[in-house]
Amino acid sequence: MGFREINSKMIEATVAPGQKLFSQRGAMLAYKGEVSFTPNVMGGQGGVMSMIGRRVANEDTPLMTVEGNGTVLFGHGGHHIEVINLSGDTLYVEADRLLAFEGTLRQSTVFLGSQGGVMGMVRGQVSGQGLFTTSLTGHGAVAVMAHGGVIELPITPGRPVHVDPQAYVAHHGDVRNKLSTALGWRDMVGRGSGEAFQLELSGSGAVYVQASEEKL
Amino acid sequence: MFRLQSSKVLAVDMTGDAVKAKNGSMVAYDGEMAFKKLTGGGEGIRGMVTRRLTGEQMTLMEVKGHGTCFFADRASEINLITLQGDKLYVESSNLLATDGGLRTGTTFTGLRGASQGNGLFTTTVEGHGQVAVMSDGPAVVLRVSPQYPLSVDPGAYVAHRGNLRQSFQSGVTFRTLIGEGGGEAFQIRFEGDGLVYVQPSERNTIAGDV
Repeated sequence: MGFREINSKMIEATVAPGQKLFSQRGAMLAYKGEVSFTPNVMGGQGGVMSMIGRRVANEDTPLMTVEGNGTVLFGHGGHHIEVINLSGDTLYVEADRLLAFEGTLRQSTVFLGSQGGVMGMVRGQVSGQGLFTTSLTGHGAVAVMAHGGVIELPITPGRPVHVDPQAYVAHHGDVRNKLSTALGWRDMVGRGSGEAFQLELSGSGAVYVQASEEKL
Repeated sequence: MFRLQSSKVLAVDMTGDAVKAKNGSMVAYDGEMAFKKLTGGGEGIRGMVTRRLTGEQMTLMEVKGHGTCFFADRASEINLITLQGDKLYVESSNLLATDGGLRTGTTFTGLRGASQGNGLFTTTVEGHGQVAVMSDGPAVVLRVSPQYPLSVDPGAYVAHRGNLRQSFQSGVTFRTLIGEGGGEAFQIRFEGDGLVYVQPSERNTIAGDV
């Protein structure tokens, strides 16, 4: 199964009986075969408690369940799509950037404040991501949207990567993030270089960065 | 050293040297970097005043450090140009980054600038080093030689270099005046010997409407 990239902005997913797929509501472009789309009231997996969790966390992007037998084309808003294959590790991504993912993955909502305490919360606010983010764990493929394509930067111990919060898309692996500031007197007097806040990611894994500083 | 990580992301490997880049265009870096705004584009008081007066404003920052720094801006395509002592004319809004050793300045463009909707002045970059220029869609490089002059839509013009004279050409006829124009009422004509960078997209210009 998995996702096949048709071009940089469209993917094709194969659904077979017994295999579920979740996708952002309204992202289907075309399909072949017998496929049904059911709006997912729960907004994902994990029962009523997770639903409430997502509502509270504002990570409740409307999802739909795709089931049946056939192939489905997905795309949304002309955004570039990156397919990330997970093999047992966890991907952290913003819910509104999530285009589709396989039902074999476990979805949950993570409180960013737990990663780095108070600074974690500040980080969420500054990057406009809120205090929560979505995580996907397991084996399977995820399709993530980004403006202008993404590059993958490896993170290795001892070599942290700094990312502009607006250009950050997703990360996976054992990565700690913290907000680093380079605020100087120049920023106070409005003479900043526009790079006052950065996300510092350290540990081992990879971060996906988009070629633009626009949110979706 | 400038290199393209993808067609829309510029990677610069730095070993203690400095580059100038558009303010806020950094998307990621590893290693140690320091960012400092260059007041007046690093051209001193005179450059600052000129830029204020001409409206050809550009906010640049100086990036210095060890490691790799990645730059991108609004998913624009990036073109690398190597300068060997010659001069590149580019719109300040299309300039992403230059080597620290290159000099930037402003120059008068005449009517061309006005038709592009970019003002009457443009930015020049000269010296030895690399420049990253942005375009909306991948830019094509067109050669101009004395036998083959080139006409370009003002909205699609990105940059040019070499020994070129530019003139303004208008195809305004009575049809244009009654609102039946072909949308190509004005062109910039380049004559001489050099290269012109053209993007596959048109900015909104006065010329585009008539």
